[in-house]
Amino acid sequence: MQGDAVYARTTMGGIKPPPHKHNSLRSRIMATPIPEHLAIPIGPAPSGLSATGVKVGERVLKYQMLSRYKQAGLTGDESGQLAVPIHAPTSGIVTAIAMAAVAEASVQERLCIHLSSDGLDEALPLQSEKDYHALTPPELFQKIAAAGIIGMGGAGFAVARKLHLAAQQEVDLVIINAAECEPYITADEALIRERAVAVLLGSDIIKLACAAKRCVLAIEDSKLDAIAALEDAINSPLLENANVELRIVPSKYPAGSEKQLIQCLTGLEVPAGQYPTDIGIIMQNAGTAHAVFAAVVEGKPCISRITTLTGNALQTPKNFDVLIGTSTNFLFDLCGINRSTKVKSIVGGSLMGHELFNDDAVVNKTTNCLIAGTVEEFPGIQPEQACIRCGYCANACPVNLLPQQLYAFSDYEDSNQLIQHGLFDCIECGACDYVCPSHIPLVSHFRQSKNSINAHRLSMERSQQWQQRFQYHQYRIKKDKDQALGSKDSISAQESVEFAESFATETIAEQESFSKEKASREIAAAVARVKARRSKIINGDPDKDEPPSGDSN
Amino acid sequence: MTSAPINSPFQHSGRNVEQLMQLLLYALCPGICASLWFFGFGILINILLAAGVAIAAEAAVLHLRHRNIRSRLADRSAVVSAVLFAITIPPGSPWWIVVSGILFAIVIAKHLYGGLGQNPFNPAMCGYVMLLLAFPLQMTSWHVPNEVIIGPLRVDSLGIPDPQQLVISPLSWIGLQQALLLSFPFAANNLQGSQALVDGLAMATPLIEFKMAGHSALFAAWEADAAVFARESETAWELINISYLIGGLFLLYKRIISWHVPLSIIATIFALSVIFYAPGSVAIYGSPYLHMFGSATMIGAFFIATDPVSAATTNGGKIYYGIIIGIAIYSIRVWGSYLDSIALAVLFGNFCAPLLDYYCRPRVFGHGKTLKPLQNESRSERSRA
Ligand code: SF4
Ligand code: SF4
Repeated sequence: MQGDAVYARTTMGGIKPPPHKHNSLRSRIMATPIPEHLAIPIGPAPSGLSATGVKVGERVLKYQMLSRYKQAGLTGDESGQLAVPIHAPTSGIVTAIAMAAVAEASVQERLCIHLSSDGLDEALPLQSEKDYHALTPPELFQKIAAAGIIGMGGAGFAVARKLHLAAQQEVDLVIINAAECEPYITADEALIRERAVAVLLGSDIIKLACAAKRCVLAIEDSKLDAIAALEDAINSPLLENANVELRIVPSKYPAGSEKQLIQCLTGLEVPAGQYPTDIGIIMQNAGTAHAVFAAVVEGKPCISRITTLTGNALQTPKNFDVLIGTSTNFLFDLCGINRSTKVKSIVGGSLMGHELFNDDAVVNKTTNCLIAGTVEEFPGIQPEQACIRCGYCANACPVNLLPQQLYAFSDYEDSNQLIQHGLFDCIECGACDYVCPSHIPLVSHFRQSKNSINAHRLSMERSQQWQQRFQYHQYRIKKDKDQALGSKDSISAQESVEFAESFATETIAEQESFSKEKASREIAAAVARVKARRSKIINGDPDKDEPPSGDSN
Repeated sequence: MTSAPINSPFQHSGRNVEQLMQLLLYALCPGICASLWFFGFGILINILLAAGVAIAAEAAVLHLRHRNIRSRLADRSAVVSAVLFAITIPPGSPWWIVVSGILFAIVIAKHLYGGLGQNPFNPAMCGYVMLLLAFPLQMTSWHVPNEVIIGPLRVDSLGIPDPQQLVISPLSWIGLQQALLLSFPFAANNLQGSQALVDGLAMATPLIEFKMAGHSALFAAWEADAAVFARESETAWELINISYLIGGLFLLYKRIISWHVPLSIIATIFALSVIFYAPGSVAIYGSPYLHMFGSATMIGAFFIATDPVSAATTNGGKIYYGIIIGIAIYSIRVWGSYLDSIALAVLFGNFCAPLLDYYCRPRVFGHGKTLKPLQNESRSERSRA
């Protein structure tokens, strides 16, 4: 239980932006009053809500499960995904099941269960479990899954499934990420400051669930109050049986990014294209650890989360214990928003967050921070100037890319060079953008390039699939005809499989060396083939079927 | 340029190109002041003339290219090019040298290649080299006002400078007149007694003198107990170089430039001059000290080779770039027929920069030495989720 020394290995790049954190840390975490209207989003993880578990007009109680959650087992349903149930945050009537805006990074709208609260807050009884050590990992998974916990840091991955996979891969180390390096966000810091014991116990439960040998909680050295609370908690008798170590990492953005934090703590780099579990490590967020503690020990499903409300347009920025489904405007009002000075709402931090275009968007399980910014804080788009190749961006990049080169290649739309220069290793942290003296929106360019390359790849794959299918189809027709004629060189089923396989490997090899010219050449060739075939059919070759066309999916 | 939707990040460090260029100009000040002190107003006239022409040329070209003149001029890159150009050409050069050089730099070397950020070669040095090829005589002699330095420093046995040699300051009114006349010789016809004024003294850079053996004027002045800041002591070059070094260190401290290029250039020149220096026998190589401070090494290493647009942009590339320039500087100085060599060496480095960048790509996080492109990453992620 050593936590005194700053423990860090060198990481690449990184920046030190002004943290903007003290405003929201002035007061303690506050519970919100119960809003009259809640819209509980279904997702981001699939909820098992194939046919809704509740009907419109039905009265539900607090903690009641709203989705029809089949205990699908931890291997998930047919799509390989585990259903994550959702629960009623308070008692009330279901008024509608309809789309509503959500405060999330990835999407703007989701299907939501709209709930009109009756103010009674009538709850189902909870089953608490004092000694979690007595539970077996499958029981822990079951409890975590039933509580509907997803990654609270923003990824939104079903926690039970992640832990289950980790246990299968026999991870050694659990890292609880409390680094929270992004400016403005203080949700984890506030949580740890006030509920360090719960976070540490939750961490210990996660460790037990995936049968890891060690559990380490990593926090930035600037969070002095939280570190003090953790040190007190670790030495308290409540944690006698728990075994969680504290590690203090230097404050640097993006130290809290998954792979960067692993590098900082262990010196290991997660190989590209792999996951931390592949090198025996699993990472969970501190907020998740707290939710796991509530689920296992108190039996509470995940119906609320800590969300930071901050920004200079708010008079009293603070952290709230927010019921899932509360609207952003409701929270802004609680903080005394000055709407005339607010120019921008952001969900998430100022470096990786997203602009919120609808202030009625509701808080979901991944919403860690809502910023109501003034024009002084976010002066908006600066005119973009030419890249002067100063290289500041390259020195800031935590994955050692050369953003200036990527930018040049994205300008020329040279996808081969982009891929060779590691475009797909970019974690979109925005550090390069932050330092660029020419105000080039580098990350936006990279996102766009990634999207267009992916779209291109997908269409290539599709066309190749269809081409392959068509060729196989023709081959089979020929074979059938040959067999019908009883010809000697008819081909056995075994051979036909081999043929198909050889096709498949060929196309994969082709894929690897794909380029735009090649794509256009191939498309042209395909068009020519189709034309030839058409003319053949028109000219009377009626014994062949119409070949499958490319759009019949 | 493709237009991208603007979203995160919403925060910015606040550092912009204008600031960088501004700080660069500040960092040049000590060196310029030292030049002013030793060589008179010639350098100031060069700077003002070059900057004026550069701004006008930049505005004209931007207008022709249908760019926003005001916002592009605000980045001050043209002024920086002009100042760098002006401090490298000899003070007292006639006006047409300055004007043709800077026009070549801005119009051809910069804008014909696409403007700021696109030019593969350092514009100021392109202008310099063009002049060096076209007007070699004017470019290798440094005119200084005639009263300033007359022959080597003469001191008597007590170390007191010969009173006969006490001269008029180049910063005096007469000095200014002389400098103006050197720059604008056509004005001489209208001026009385101008002939005497214009008869300035051509002085070579110390490297030329030291090619014929000799040693540092700064040391000589020290040995002779003369004041190092006195103009008669001929310590000008060394003190000017030291001033540019101070400016360069300021840039390093402010993190405007990184240490890679200046350090590798200086270290290379130092190493070569140590290896080849053989005191007494072959004086032609010059002492390491002379190579550091006797010529334009510091301006080159800190201000000219570090021009980000035309330099290598990867950290590894910058080191090789510096080494190449260092070797080129030394070779041209010692074995070449041009006397000072910063410009040619930097252009040579510019040639190599794209190649260096290609081979010096840093190892990407999570990859081995070579980057294996992530194929179909999106798909594998989906199947895992
Ligand atoms: S920081 Fe901006 S201007 Fe500098 S090299 Fe990178 S992209 Fe170019
Ligand atoms: S956004 Fe991408 S390229 Fe830019 S610093 Fe982050 S990882 Fe590097």
